[in-house]
Amino acid sequence: MRLLAQPGERIDRSREISFVFEGKRIAAFPGDTIGSALFASGRRIFSRSFKYHRPRGLLCCSGHCANCMMTVDGVPNVRTCVEPARPGAVVRAQNVRGSLDFDLMRIVDLAGGPFTPVGFYYRTMIRPRWAWPYYERFLRNAAGLGRIDRHAKPEPGRHDTEHRRADVLVIGGGEAGVAAARAAAQRGEGVILVDEGLGSLAEEFEGTGVEVLQPAVAIAMYEGGLVPVVAGRVLRRIRAGRVVVATGALEQPLLFPGNDLPGVMLPGAVRKLVRDFSICPGRRAVVIAADERGLGVVEELRAAGTDIVAEVDLRSAAPRAIEVKGRKSGVRSVSIDGRSYSCDLVVMSGGRQPAYSLLAQAGARVEYDEARGIFVPTGIPAGVEAVGSVTGAVGAAAIPPPVFRGASAGDRCVVCFCEDVTDKDVKRAVAEGFDSIELAKRYTTVTMGPCQGKLCQLASIRLYARENGTDEGAIGTTTARPPWTPVSLAQLAGRPLEVARKTSIHHRHEALGATILWTGAWRRAHSYGDPAVEVRAVREAVGVIDVSTLGKLLVIGPDAAAFLERLYPNRFGDLRPGRIRYGVLTTDGGRIMDDGTVARLSETEFYVTTTSTGAAAVVEWFGWWNAIWGMDVEIVDVTGAACAVNVAGPRARELMERLTSLDVSAEGVKYLDAASGRVAGVPALLLRIGFVGELGYEIHFPAPYGEYLWDTLLERGADLGIRPFGLEAQRVLRLEKQHIIVGQDTDSESTLLSAGLTWLPKLDKDDFVGKWAYELQQERGARERLVGFEMLSGTVPPEGAQVVRDGRIAGRVTSSRWSEAAGQPVGLAWVPPDLAQDGARFEIRVGGRLETASVHLSAFYDPDGERLRS
Amino acid sequence: MSGAFAFLSPDAAAPEGGFAPVLRSPLAHEIGRAPAGVADLSLALGKLEVYGAGASLDAPGAEVVPIAPGRFLVLCPYVRTAETRTALAGQGLLVVDRTGALGALELVGERVLRRLTDLDLDRLPAVGPVAHVRTVVLRDGDRFRLLFPQECGDSMLEAVIDALAGLA
Repeated sequence: MRLLAQPGERIDRSREISFVFEGKRIAAFPGDTIGSALFASGRRIFSRSFKYHRPRGLLCCSGHCANCMMTVDGVPNVRTCVEPARPGAVVRAQNVRGSLDFDLMRIVDLAGGPFTPVGFYYRTMIRPRWAWPYYERFLRNAAGLGRIDRHAKPEPGRHDTEHRRADVLVIGGGEAGVAAARAAAQRGEGVILVDEGLGSLAEEFEGTGVEVLQPAVAIAMYEGGLVPVVAGRVLRRIRAGRVVVATGALEQPLLFPGNDLPGVMLPGAVRKLVRDFSICPGRRAVVIAADERGLGVVEELRAAGTDIVAEVDLRSAAPRAIEVKGRKSGVRSVSIDGRSYSCDLVVMSGGRQPAYSLLAQAGARVEYDEARGIFVPTGIPAGVEAVGSVTGAVGAAAIPPPVFRGASAGDRCVVCFCEDVTDKDVKRAVAEGFDSIELAKRYTTVTMGPCQGKLCQLASIRLYARENGTDEGAIGTTTARPPWTPVSLAQLAGRPLEVARKTSIHHRHEALGATILWTGAWRRAHSYGDPAVEVRAVREAVGVIDVSTLGKLLVIGPDAAAFLERLYPNRFGDLRPGRIRYGVLTTDGGRIMDDGTVARLSETEFYVTTTSTGAAAVVEWFGWWNAIWGMDVEIVDVTGAACAVNVAGPRARELMERLTSLDVSAEGVKYLDAASGRVAGVPALLLRIGFVGELGYEIHFPAPYGEYLWDTLLERGADLGIRPFGLEAQRVLRLEKQHIIVGQDTDSESTLLSAGLTWLPKLDKDDFVGKWAYELQQERGARERLVGFEMLSGTVPPEGAQVVRDGRIAGRVTSSRWSEAAGQPVGLAWVPPDLAQDGARFEIRVGGRLETASVHLSAFYDPDGERLRS
Repeated sequence: MSGAFAFLSPDAAAPEGGFAPVLRSPLAHEIGRAPAGVADLSLALGKLEVYGAGASLDAPGAEVVPIAPGRFLVLCPYVRTAETRTALAGQGLLVVDRTGALGALELVGERVLRRLTDLDLDRLPAVGPVAHVRTVVLRDGDRFRLLFPQECGDSMLEAVIDALAGLA
């Protein structure tokens, strides 16, 4: 039953909507919350508590506590007291076995108390160890909040993130917040006002220049005035020049037996039910309050028709004992110092505590005000301002005792409503030695529930202080951490977005039916159907592969050669313009970090390629050393600017001759030559290199011509038997040549010495990055060696397989494939150094069996490189 | 930049030997999905990165965007890329042709940008992440131009289209 229309009520009585609660239709008015409509329909039990499954009803009506949490349209843990009622919504209770009114798990409360004291799961379920997973599953089923339905359809709608800027951000739309917003707007500042209420501040501020976000919750405060605000399904990341915190103060509960029964409410909940939703919260009420604001509900209740059977002003005479007794649906009576009052509503107010959490996150200190018994923020950092009751202006109030004992002391006295922690739990924790509030918090979980300490921080500190025989100031508060209010992970995640880097030929690979896979951030063609056919095409005719993903750098300047000399173990000072040299970069510790080619295009201009996945690190590495050495050189990353394709195979030259007027003969562009010219009309740099071990031309050209040149190559090479080949074929081809892939065949411990690249470092150079380490490694010798091997059994071992010697793990396989050219499986593996000789045998564990491999130090295919140089 | 790096300049292509090179924008495959108000400028602009200039750069007939101390991005109509490149190189500056390296999008409305970047949209031009991609953002009233690595073109366009759908 609703009251007659209250002034300013939020509901629109002109029409009715309905939603479904546990299969029953519930009538509501527009403007109702799910919680108010359920309360109006007669429902008093809204949830079952976290651990003991005690009945819980509306407590704060402000979205602060967990008492009204339900599953709405499949979304668990929705605070129904602030969730607008919407037509057709499906609302279900959560954490119950049976129904809200009859929950079988209530047995835990009635009989399980002695077995479930605070922290019982740390002590009683640790042996036998194998049983813990079963215990854990049982506990998770027996306790908790809502559950995610893993089989549910994806939630309709979307969650977005929006970035905002403002001169001033005001958090809180109460009196002080509104005044601050108006004042800032009058000064001409851009203002955003955030308020969690369901009111109509936007209308109030219309035309003032103040942007109102309501209902919206500021969930945290970070450095630089960054405040994430949840408004609907959009997470706004607001950066403000100045943040005005007007978050007000939080009504505090009192601690007495039965203080969590349905029908025990905070004054704010009573006000909201009466004023906003025109609902009478109870027929007979007892009001126990420590402040004027709490006592102020007496008149409102009377006006709503409630009979006030007792009014206790804690400022004048605090009773020694209070105890609420309940029945199935909630409060039955309250006993105060032995006198019993029959009632169905108890309004309790332990005064108000400033809602300082956001200020504390911003860096403010929090100090205990002994005179008023509350914690107040001090030392507000620059750029942040506190106004209103959050500063501590909460009016005079009595400081209630930590706990009112009941006459019988029978029922639980709840400190933390979210986590079902009682005063006895806190006492026990202190008795067990958890005397620091931070430790006790972790042990008892007080303040760790959905309310994040809004209703239990102050009460628990008072208890800790009493039990430790000290004062609240000495106990202090726990660290304020985001989020201040629960927020869904979907809201934090925003839109799914994974940047995929695609070469300018990517869509051609897709059109050719290529299997595409991720390599780092790149999407690359794995194969176009049959890698073996692709391998054969390269060995017998001509193949083309998109290698645009290679890192590409320009190194330009008078000191360019000297710079590369210092950076690489190789020598580059003597590299003639128009020539290319393979280079390996090592770290200061002499570990291999990347490899690629270096082409000298003029005296002062070099073109450097890197591995695809190592490009960003190499760019950073070059820039870092350039900053340290201060040499006259510019480093320019042109990875995306140039497309690159490798044309390889015995008929590659024939194809190139059809496309360019350059002399691409064996004399015109020799192995390891770099030449500039047009290919099919496109400006290009030709690099005569051969990663796959055949006559090859790597063509680098402007990215926008990627598809054109790719199409042209396939078209003009059709009669030569050209085929595109992907990463898989490339891996086979290079393995037959024992060309390493950095990152696949090497790891963070691999050195030039252990990888067998001893020909590469030039130790007569004054210095290079990693030289000292290399010399030391030479002195000490390599602990393992990278070698090629053949599998005598004909089995292809999996990459990563163990190398076994004398029954012990002695290395690992890094690469392995069937080689048509070798007629057997081949691979690369790390083995003990003494095995690094042709014909040495070792074993590889394959599917539980040990199979024999033979070391093969030279390339499996064209060991003299004649085909490369042809 | 000397002729050694001509292979980075799309406008250095020319029909020859029966070949007629065809340029294609990095957004060509997906731009058709974009709603009105989103335009592909990738091939409409010449983009040159200039190193070694002082605090300012004079590039007549071109738009100069400072992107780092001593570094500028110079934008000009695509057909004027060669002459702008030559003029800048004539000043003794290092000029790297970024025309092929950068995709370019134009879109209307601040709100969609707010969904994609935390850059201060009142302090543009600026370089920063847009949809997780390092981007140069330029503003002219309510119109924004984004210049980003061409290899991220599909991802960028997908993010823009998705953000616009969220605002629809």
